[in-house]
Order: sequence, then structure tokens, then C-alpha cells
Amino acid sequence: MNQHPYRTRLAAACAAATGLLLAACTSPSSMEPPQVDVPTPLPAGIVFDADVTASVPDDSCDPLSSYSPGTVTAEQARATLDNPDVVSIGVSQSTNLMGYADPVTNKLTGFDIDIATAVVQALMGDATKVKWVPMTSGERESALNEDRVDMVVRTMSITCDRWEKIEFSTEYYKAGQRLLVTKDAGIESVTDLTADHHVCTGETSTSGGNIAAVNDQVKQVTVPDFNDCLVLLQQGTVDAISTDDTILAGMAAQDPTLVIVGETFSVESYGIGFQKDNTDLARFVNGALEDIAAGPTWQAAYDEWLKVPLGGAEAADRTVQYRD
Amino acid sequence: MQAPSEAPAGPPATGASPGRRFDRAVAALRYTPGQLRGLLAILTVLVLGAGITGMTSILAKSAVIEETTSQSGRLSVAALQLYQALSQADATAASSYLTGGTPTKEMNEAYRSSLRDATVALATAAGEVKSGDDAKLVAELNAHLPVYTGLVETAKAFNRLGEPVGATYQEQASTLMREAMLPRAHELQENALGQLAESRAGAEAFPWAAAALVAAALGTLVWAQIWLSRKTNRVFNLGLVGATVVLVVFAGWLTMAAIASAGHTTKSHEEGAQPLELLAQAEITAQLARAEESLLLIARGDEPGAAKRYEEHIQELVGPGGLLDQLDESFGDDPELAPSVEAARAAAETWNAGHDSVVQTAAEGDYLGAVAEAVGDHEDSLATSFGALNEALTEATKTSADRFAESTVDAQQALTGAAAGLAGLALAALVGIAIGIQLRVAEYYA
Repeated sequence: MNQHPYRTRLAAACAAATGLLLAACTSPSSMEPPQVDVPTPLPAGIVFDADVTASVPDDSCDPLSSYSPGTVTAEQARATLDNPDVVSIGVSQSTNLMGYADPVTNKLTGFDIDIATAVVQALMGDATKVKWVPMTSGERESALNEDRVDMVVRTMSITCDRWEKIEFSTEYYKAGQRLLVTKDAGIESVTDLTADHHVCTGETSTSGGNIAAVNDQVKQVTVPDFNDCLVLLQQGTVDAISTDDTILAGMAAQDPTLVIVGETFSVESYGIGFQKDNTDLARFVNGALEDIAAGPTWQAAYDEWLKVPLGGAEAADRTVQYRD
Repeated sequence: MQAPSEAPAGPPATGASPGRRFDRAVAALRYTPGQLRGLLAILTVLVLGAGITGMTSILAKSAVIEETTSQSGRLSVAALQLYQALSQADATAASSYLTGGTPTKEMNEAYRSSLRDATVALATAAGEVKSGDDAKLVAELNAHLPVYTGLVETAKAFNRLGEPVGATYQEQASTLMREAMLPRAHELQENALGQLAESRAGAEAFPWAAAALVAAALGTLVWAQIWLSRKTNRVFNLGLVGATVVLVVFAGWLTMAAIASAGHTTKSHEEGAQPLELLAQAEITAQLARAEESLLLIARGDEPGAAKRYEEHIQELVGPGGLLDQLDESFGDDPELAPSVEAARAAAETWNAGHDSVVQTAAEGDYLGAVAEAVGDHEDSLATSFGALNEALTEATKTSADRFAESTVDAQQALTGAAAGLAGLALAALVGIAIGIQLRVAEYYA
């Protein structure tokens, strides 16, 4: 009879011990292994399948006609500057081969810079009397109108729209829109792009509209900064990049597996921008550009920066027209 | 209680069945020895219950304190370290990029150690996650980290070659960090802190179940002694009196330990954990701002978002009602922490003022000058004031961590031995009860 209470106690103790053990060993219930994808790195603000409307040629004006040099002297031109001792010029510092701040030398380098330096030499008589103002392409017109710079030399196409807000020089370089692709892609021109291809352009540029005008099949991908396009092409996210051949040249120069293909399918005439109504400066610079094109400077700049990726071009290829 | 009455005829008992056994037990309760055994069973259950719940609640408190103090191995700590390490890795990678492919030894070391911290924290977190959501976050972060480091290394290689596309790779790495990785690390941290708050509430709670059981056991024991003394005309039963004394001690110890440890836990949270969280937040925010500052220069003005994000982060740090203000408000009159917080504010303000000058220098076309101001190691560089800010925050973190550790040691000391002691007391009470009752039962068979 004595054993009963004992057994009861034993049972209770066992139950207690089991309870303790259970409490101690409670583990997360077996979890399914989570489903995870390795991410594809994408730039901020990228848009796939961007809705782009084909651009229509604007013939509301004759954009390439600027002011004839006439008899404006350097002194008269300097008088139009905010500071007659220093000319301030808006440039790019992030466009390889055109306007790029070399992080090793801290010098601005590129075709635009060489042309601008030659203009400074003619205007100021001293190529160092210049203040370079780096800016993004979106700031070009406002920087002039808000009087932050006297001129802009930054891969700026002369268009009728822009003539409304600023003055232009004559064309100093005739660029055109082409394609950048990988060498073995089998893409020879813009018409080879199919609905299965993705082509990358800058979100604010007119490049997308120009593509849509000649190929409405290809899918367009836009990014806020066209430099992102190069990374997307190297990563295989897009099949081609399309923008001005000068900019494509700056990308092709960084990667030997890439090549610029096809004919140009839109002409981009680069001009130097001035503040509205500052026609004296425009006239003087047009005269200076004639000298620069006639002398060795233009060709030397072209040969140094653009000849290898783009092939031959000459100063004589520029269109020079005057409206008066 | 009433005396046991005449035993009625038991139910017809043929064949062993559970019903029959139960009936026999019920029948036995009508006699005094049976009643005594029943009493023993009830007291055993009550005392064992009180002992077990008291012990487990003390052990659980101890575990939570362990969880909140130990500097490694816990999800909340791992998640915070992960967040810190990732933001530091990105800030370091971005400012290293600006050195043109030849970062200093210190920069390389800082990048590598932040990556090491991040991977260790991820591995720890992977072992500690308790929900499917958290497991997914950890797995996703694991998938992102090698992609991030790949982008950083590609950027480095192009940077060394002097190719501008390196900048774009660095920007993409920062974008991946900012838009995919840091939000996940933050979510993991929030989840872990939520779980911690829950278990802290548990640690601070009074062990009511154990207290109720011990009260019931005491009540039963006292009633049993009165009943027995009436029945046997003996005033004291030594076993039961001993058990009563032991149980009173048990109740006292349980109450004291619970109240003391709850007090220490609250104190360690308010004086240690809260400033630690705030300081970590400040450190992370500073790293985020620093990364955006470097990005601004890397993108050469082509990334307007970076300027905006820098402004947001720096305002969160030094702005009115920002993190430094919150630290000031809570610890401005704390003699140990106040100097560090003050130093951090001074450094952050110097840094922010210098930032504007760097942006100005860059806008005026002196790119290399701006870079030198930002990442150079001279006295006026942003790197120097950013370093001073970090140092001040680290100093304050160390002070609060020490304090946190101290008060949790106090909390644990209040619990030291309590679990074992309570278990021992419960067993002693059981032995006393058993002896006391068995002696009386034996008298019936003498």
C-alpha cells in the first residue's frame, strides 16, 4: 500500500521533468527553405518598355544658320562677359572623350574641352583665363539664362526649340545617332533590332524618339543617366545603346568587346550656346571657329579623341551657314 | 472536516476495469488513511507545481537577460550589427572609389572588416531566426551580398584602369545597397527588436502562476494541520510544520527575486539598451550620409538624388529633433555620456559645414580639390570630421554598453541560485509533507 503515494510522486516528477525538457527543447518548427532570387543590379529610375513617341523632324526654322562673324573684335566680345578678365564656360565633366574630369590629373579633357580652349585663346588671348563650370545636360539652358556662364560647350545639339531660348554658334561638330552593341551580337544596324531586343537610351534625350522613328519594334529601356546604359550592356540586361556617336565613342573606348555599328540615323549638330541676345559674342566665336577649323587645332582634337572609335572626319565636314 | 463515515457496499466488482479502480480509490477516501493519502497527493501536486513553475519562470527570466546582454549570438544584436556593417561597407567602398583606385590601407581594412562583420552577423542571424519571414530576409541578404561585392570589385578594377564606367558600377552597388539590402536589414532588425520587447515584457512580469500555486499549497498545508490536530489531538506535526516554514521561505525568495530582477531589467533597458539603440541609429545615419556624399562626387553632379538623400540623412542626425537632439535630451545631464554626445555634435556640424564647401568646390570645377577635401586625411577634410564623429559615437556606445552589461549582471545576480534554491526548497517541502503524513498513515497500520 505504501507504494502508491510513492508511485504518484514518481509519476508527477516524471511529468514535471518531461515538461521542463519540452520547455527547454522547444525549437522553431521545421521551416521550408525560403525561395530567393539572386538580384539583377539595376540603376535607380530605370524604365523597361518605355513609351516613346517617334520624333518628327522640326523644320520650323533653319537651325544651322548663325550670325556671320562680321567685324566684332575680341575686345567688343569680351565686353559682353560678366567678368571681362575671365570667361566662364559650362562643360561636362562626366562625358568620356568629350568633356571628362580626369581623376588622376584633375584636368578636364576631351574634344569639347579642346575646342572651348581654342575659343578661349582667341577671345581672351590667354587660354588660362577661363572658369570651367561643370554641369549636367539638363542645366545647360538655365545656366545661360540665369547668367551662371557666358557660354556652354557641352555636346549640345542646335535645335529650333533651343534657338527660342538661347543663341547658337555655327556647327562645330556634326554628330549623329548610331548604335553600340557587342561585337558578336549580329546586329549591324538599327533595322536589325527586333521586338526581342532591348535598346537603352537616356530618359531626357531625344535618342528614343529617333529610334522609334526608324524602328517601332524594338523595346526601349530608359535610364536617368545614360552612363548606366554601358553597365546594362556589359551585364547583358540590354542588347544595344543608342545615342550620339560621340557619346557612344566614349563608351566603346572603355570596352574592347563593344563596337559602334550602322549608319547615322539622325544628325546632331553641336553648337556653342550663348545667352539670348548676346549676338556679339556669337559673331566673334563664329569667326574664331572658322580659324580653328582652318588651322590644325580642330583636326588635332578630333584625331586625339574621336578618330579611333569613329573613323575619319574632317573640319570641312561641318556645315557653316550664316543668316545675315 | 467531518469524520469518515461508514463504508458503503462497494459496487459489484468483477473483472478489472479502470472504472473499478477509480471506484475503489473513491471508496478508500471514506477512511482516514485514504483521506491522508489523498491529501498527500494534492499537496504533492501543488508543491511540485509551485516548484516547477517558480523554477521555470526564473530560468526564463535568466534566459531573457542572457539574450539581452550577450553581445553575440542573438538575432536583435546580429541584425543591428548587420545593418551597421552594411552601411559602413557602402560608405567605405564609395569613399575608397574617390581615391582613384589606390585606397589607403586603413580604407581597405575598414571595408574588409565591415564585410567580415556583415557575413558573421548574417551567419548568426541565419541560426537565430524563428519565423519564415525572417528566414527569407536573411536568405535574400545572403543572395544580395555577393552581387554587391561583385559590383564594388568591378568598379575598383575599372577605376584602376581609369575608365569612367567604374563610377557607374559603384553607383549601382550603392543603389543595390540602398534600395534592396539596407531596407531588408532594417526590417530584420525591427522584427528582432519586436521579439525582444515581447520577451522583455515576459521577463519583467511577476510569476503569478508560481505565486498562486505556492499560496494554494500553503493554504492547503495549514488547513491540513488544523484538520490533523483535530483528528489526532496532536498540536504539531513536525514534518508539516517544517514544510510550511520552507514554503514561506520559498514564497519570499520567489517574490524578491522576481521584483529585483524586473527592476534591473527595466533599468538596463532604459539606461543601457535605449541609448545603445539611439547611438547605433546615429552611427548608421552618419554612414548613410557619408555614402551619399561620396556618391555625389563619384557621379560628378549627374546624380541629383544623392544630394537630396544626403540632406535627409544629415537632418535626421543634426536637425532639430534629430538623433543627436534625442541623445542630448536623454543624456545631456549624464556626466559620462554628455561629453561624447557633445563631441559628436561638434564633429557632425563641422562635417556638414565642410560638406557645403566641398559641393561648392566641385561646382566651381575643382574636382580633385573637392575630392581631396572629402576623402583626404588632412586636418580639415570631411574624412577627419566624419572620423571624429564616429569616434565620439563609439566612445558613447562603449560607455552605455558597459552600463548595460553592469545592470544586467545585477539582474542576473538577483536570480543567481534562485532556480536551484526554489527547486531545493520545493523538494524539502515535499519531503517534510511526505514524512509528516506517512507517520500518521503508519499509525493506522501499527
